[in-house]
Amino acid sequence: MSEFPWLLTMIVVPAVGGAAVAALPKGRDALAKQAALAVSLLVLVLAVLATVAFDTGGERFQLTTSVSWIPSFGVDFALGVDGIALVMLLLIGVLVPVVVVASWRDTGPGGRSMKAYFAWLLVLEAMMVGVFAATDVFLFYVFFEAMLVPMYFIIGSFGGPRRQYAAVKFFLYSLLGGLVMLASVIGLYVVSTSQIGEGTFAFDALRSLDIDPGVQKLLFLGFFVAFAIKAPLVPFHTWLPDSGAEAPVGGAVLLVGVLDKVGTFGFIRYCLPLFPDASRTFAPWILGLAVAGILYGALLAMGQSDMKRLVTYTSIAHFGFIALGIFAFTAEGGSGAVLYMVNHGISTGILFLVVGMVITRGGSRSIADYGGIGKKAPVLAGVFLVAGLSSLALPGTNSFVSEFLVLLGSFPTRPVFTIVATVGIVLAALYVLLLIQRAVHGPARGLVTEQPFPDLRRRELVVVAPLLALVIGLGVYPQPLLDLINPAVAATMGDIGSDPAGTQPATAEQGAN
Amino acid sequence: MIEAPDLSLSALSPFLFVFGAALVGVLVESFAPRHVRQPTQVALALVGTVGGFACTLLLAGRGEVTAAGALAVDGAGLFLQATIAGLGALSVLLFAERALDPARSAFVASAAVPAGSPRDRELLTDERVQTEVYPLATFAVGGMMLFVAANDLLVMFIALEVLSLPLYLICGLSRRRRLLSQEAAVKYFLLGAFASAFFLYGLALVYGATGTVQLAGIRQSVTDDGTGTLLVLGLGLLVVGLMFKASVAPFHTWTPDVYQGAPTPVTAFMAACTKVAAFGAILRLLYVAFGTADWTWRPLVYGIAIVSMVVGAVLGLTQTDVKRMLAYSSIAHAGFLLTGVIGLDAGTGSGLAATLFYLLAYGLTTVGAFAVVTLVRDGDGEATALAQWAGLARRSPLTAAIMTFLLLALAGIPLTSGFTGKFAVFRAAIEVGAWPLAVVALVTSAVAGFFYLRLVVLMYFSEPAEDGPSVGVPGLPTTIVLAVTVAATLVLGVVPGSVLDLADGAARLVG
Amino acid sequence: MGGIEIGTAETVVFWVLGPIALAGALGMVLARNAVHSALFLVNTMLALGVFYVVQEAPFLGAVQIIVYTGAIMILFLFVLMLVGRDSSDSVVETLRGQRVAATVLGIGFAGLVGAGIARATEGMVVTGLEGVQGGEGGAADGNIEAIAGLLFTRYLLAFEVTSALLITAAVGAMVLAHIEREPGSRLTQKERSRARFLTSDHPQTLPGPGVYARANSIAAPGRLPDGSPAEASYATGVEPQVVEELPPGDPAGDGRDPGAGRGHGPDAALGTTRGVTR
Repeated sequence: MSEFPWLLTMIVVPAVGGAAVAALPKGRDALAKQAALAVSLLVLVLAVLATVAFDTGGERFQLTTSVSWIPSFGVDFALGVDGIALVMLLLIGVLVPVVVVASWRDTGPGGRSMKAYFAWLLVLEAMMVGVFAATDVFLFYVFFEAMLVPMYFIIGSFGGPRRQYAAVKFFLYSLLGGLVMLASVIGLYVVSTSQIGEGTFAFDALRSLDIDPGVQKLLFLGFFVAFAIKAPLVPFHTWLPDSGAEAPVGGAVLLVGVLDKVGTFGFIRYCLPLFPDASRTFAPWILGLAVAGILYGALLAMGQSDMKRLVTYTSIAHFGFIALGIFAFTAEGGSGAVLYMVNHGISTGILFLVVGMVITRGGSRSIADYGGIGKKAPVLAGVFLVAGLSSLALPGTNSFVSEFLVLLGSFPTRPVFTIVATVGIVLAALYVLLLIQRAVHGPARGLVTEQPFPDLRRRELVVVAPLLALVIGLGVYPQPLLDLINPAVAATMGDIGSDPAGTQPATAEQGAN
Repeated sequence: MIEAPDLSLSALSPFLFVFGAALVGVLVESFAPRHVRQPTQVALALVGTVGGFACTLLLAGRGEVTAAGALAVDGAGLFLQATIAGLGALSVLLFAERALDPARSAFVASAAVPAGSPRDRELLTDERVQTEVYPLATFAVGGMMLFVAANDLLVMFIALEVLSLPLYLICGLSRRRRLLSQEAAVKYFLLGAFASAFFLYGLALVYGATGTVQLAGIRQSVTDDGTGTLLVLGLGLLVVGLMFKASVAPFHTWTPDVYQGAPTPVTAFMAACTKVAAFGAILRLLYVAFGTADWTWRPLVYGIAIVSMVVGAVLGLTQTDVKRMLAYSSIAHAGFLLTGVIGLDAGTGSGLAATLFYLLAYGLTTVGAFAVVTLVRDGDGEATALAQWAGLARRSPLTAAIMTFLLLALAGIPLTSGFTGKFAVFRAAIEVGAWPLAVVALVTSAVAGFFYLRLVVLMYFSEPAEDGPSVGVPGLPTTIVLAVTVAATLVLGVVPGSVLDLADGAARLVG
Repeated sequence: MGGIEIGTAETVVFWVLGPIALAGALGMVLARNAVHSALFLVNTMLALGVFYVVQEAPFLGAVQIIVYTGAIMILFLFVLMLVGRDSSDSVVETLRGQRVAATVLGIGFAGLVGAGIARATEGMVVTGLEGVQGGEGGAADGNIEAIAGLLFTRYLLAFEVTSALLITAAVGAMVLAHIEREPGSRLTQKERSRARFLTSDHPQTLPGPGVYARANSIAAPGRLPDGSPAEASYATGVEPQVVEELPPGDPAGDGRDPGAGRGHGPDAALGTTRGVTR
């Protein structure tokens, strides 16, 4: 079963699909949409099949494909997934078709053809799959940087009024982070040359290096800065509100839902196993940033008047939780963080989509322009509510499980940070409920009365339905995902030297109930 | 009695081809009727450059010193010669483009007619062209090829002049904006003569210190007798002269003006070939002659590299003209190349191979970028002001896409040749422990990324102006150039393995 | 190392000619007049020629004087004289403080290099030409043979490639200076005559201006027999204008004009003293 190159296929299919969509003649927007949907659904099917082929009790990296790519650099085109990467691939598989359908009726600014948008979406999908599936650090870096290009065009060509500024800011922040990481990547290579005898970028080989602590710290910082910008952690976050708010809704979902996860994924995949000593040294500082991010994101979210910016600030708070779980160095915390990455993709995705639907109807991003949506569009209001509750991690929704696991996992090793972080939960309830109260409840006013404000259409229901199902489903029964995640997290925590022995299945079940 | 020196004709064959074509070109210019000159000259120049290219390929693997020690035939030299000849052929194709400009050519019909005179206006749309540019460019290619193979400072100096003099001339032969073009030529000539004087002075001092002008002899003397003040002073002056040609800051002041004023095909030629040639000579001088005393040049090159990267990246931000922007980009790239030069280390370093690869990749990309610049025009010739490029993607998606791709390559985004090259040179620098330099290089790459991106933003995200420029339909020559450069940029980014191996294998210097 | 002594005469020649050569070089740069500039350069070249001779290289010295001073500089002067020797550069400073900065930096740089060289050559043993060029084809065989030996062996390639430089220079001079006439763009004498007879009603030469008839300016038109200006005699390139003319003569000599004696006749313009003496 694992003979079939699932991962390679998952990169090639959307890449070719994107090229094909881009090559369609002008004015065939409808065909472009259909093709994009078909391709993205095919990738979803492939992701599911790959999951089936994945053996949870087997080797750490499975479904591997490896061909020599640049021999003189020692670079291989090596793909492979562990449980962590696999769940991210599933998330990508789910979100991209949803985004395609959600963008079905979008129009580009100034009457731009949407064909390019769908082409870029598919290219972006290929790059995202590559980033998570790469097991060669060089290859990872290549996808990491190349991923910027489609996102840059999605924001810059199809975004809101300040899209140029947002796109450039996004690109430059990420490029700067990426280049700093490149220095570390090369540094790793040089270290591997001196230790193994020939330079390599293979993750498994690099993991077994014994790097001098001083060098380790420098290399760690290079990786860390790139991932902290991507994730984003607090002092590196300023690009995200601009990009998230100006990106088209579909782009924003993928940006916050998947792209930013590369940062946290990078922490857990590269920072911890490759630089265990440095990770331990810097952990208190990073946890400080994480907790600061939780509080800062939540406080700023409360102060926002722009709905999309609000959602991006909630994400900053959520990324704080994820970082907290990762740098607590416990198996529960790690599993919780990975699960959080998936759940955040789903709940922020649906929140962005709902907010996008409201904005499409009203034509304004300002919360103050809306009121009493529930009166005119009850179904929309209901979905809005569920999305909001998922975001604040109400028990029974998916986010609760992960947030609980993170706090449970980090409390034994980092009680102070954990206690401060719980304040963030309260703040989360405040910003979500305030938003819903202002926009959804009360008498209909503002744009809700001025504009025709129809309830959800059938297409929009198709968009939100799978995500709603996942919100509830994963809230009640997260076990299948945890089964995939736990062995990989245990291996990672084993690399760093914490005690992987734990009772993850038990705690997960506790969390689920 | 004089013993005739041993001359290997096969080793000289690339030069014979290129210089031969140039000489025949001069004869054609004298005797052929005017209407056949343009096609004949183009064909001759192509035969010369492509023939030179083929000869270097046939010579691959040779490693010898010939012509009484004046010429080194080695892997690095042949790789660079092939690069120069290939890029020269592409540039000649750009020279030959006649379909784009309603004025029929980028080159003036008659350079001696005073600019702005009635006769000049009359000739603006004339069919005829100053076809001397083709033999002149071929001479320059020959000079450059000799420059990278010179095993003797005197030959190197003469090659420097042979490559410079034709360039000074053809810089001033633009058909439009002639005064600007002539100013560029004069400026380049004066500063170039100044730099040549530096080189010559350095040569004299090195001769005074070591008693020889042959690189191997200098190496011998350096190894045996150590380095004195005179030698270091001479080395410094030689490096200044070479850095000037390579347009490395702080010896870059001519670059923006000349790049802007020269006819764009010539700019492409200079930006690609001259840079390759100058770096080839820098590598050979530093490695062959001073390789055993690298403390003499390493701090110097280290500092210059940082200055060049910072100056190129920061001043590039303030530019409002595409050609000037690409000029500052070339200065920044010179700095990146110097990080590869720092990575030269006897025996172990990969700096030589990395620099060779970077030169090839950068040369191809930059020729392509300037080729795109020739496409975008308004009624007054090329529209080089950045503001005029606004919304270009709407007018011509393909042109904008090609330019964007090439700009991303210059910025060093993965899956383009620029990234592979940058990776190679930075790796070489880190390998010899120059990681602070690599970090500076990475940060300046990000800064430089901003101005490349600004052009992309303009092309894609801005609304086109009402009276904006149009995109010309290129004729066959420019189309070939664009196809080759874009394909090469992609291939060297996606599957660079074989070319990297080639550069690795070629990274041998004899002397 | 076996150094050799430098003779007194050589030292004296150096210290006399060195400043002269340097002064010539400075004068060449600083002179406003192009001819002076060229002559200063000749001065420097001559001094250098003598230096070569003193340094046991008589052939080089002769070549220096014959080729540079004799041929190249004379050509230079020819061109300068033909073009006009009073064309001088604009001396307006476009960048403020540029000249001062350039002077300071230039002197600083010269000082740096000069000090470095002075330090490096301090106490250096003089080898002498023979010591450097010993061996076959060396100075022992004579200066000319030594140069020939080097040119045809070690510097053969350099020598050959220099031809490319010269060709480039020649082509460049042609490109920049030679205006190629289109075939047919300049009419032959025959064609001109033919055209004049065919198209013009004025086949003969045009009348000359009134110079020396009534005035000494070519702006003065010639007169037709009735005294009116002949339009065909207007000079090209000069606006016809009223110039101070002598009063018209009085061929009848009826004595109406009291001062007529001075202005009479065409010869009056020549300023004769006839009127006074009469």
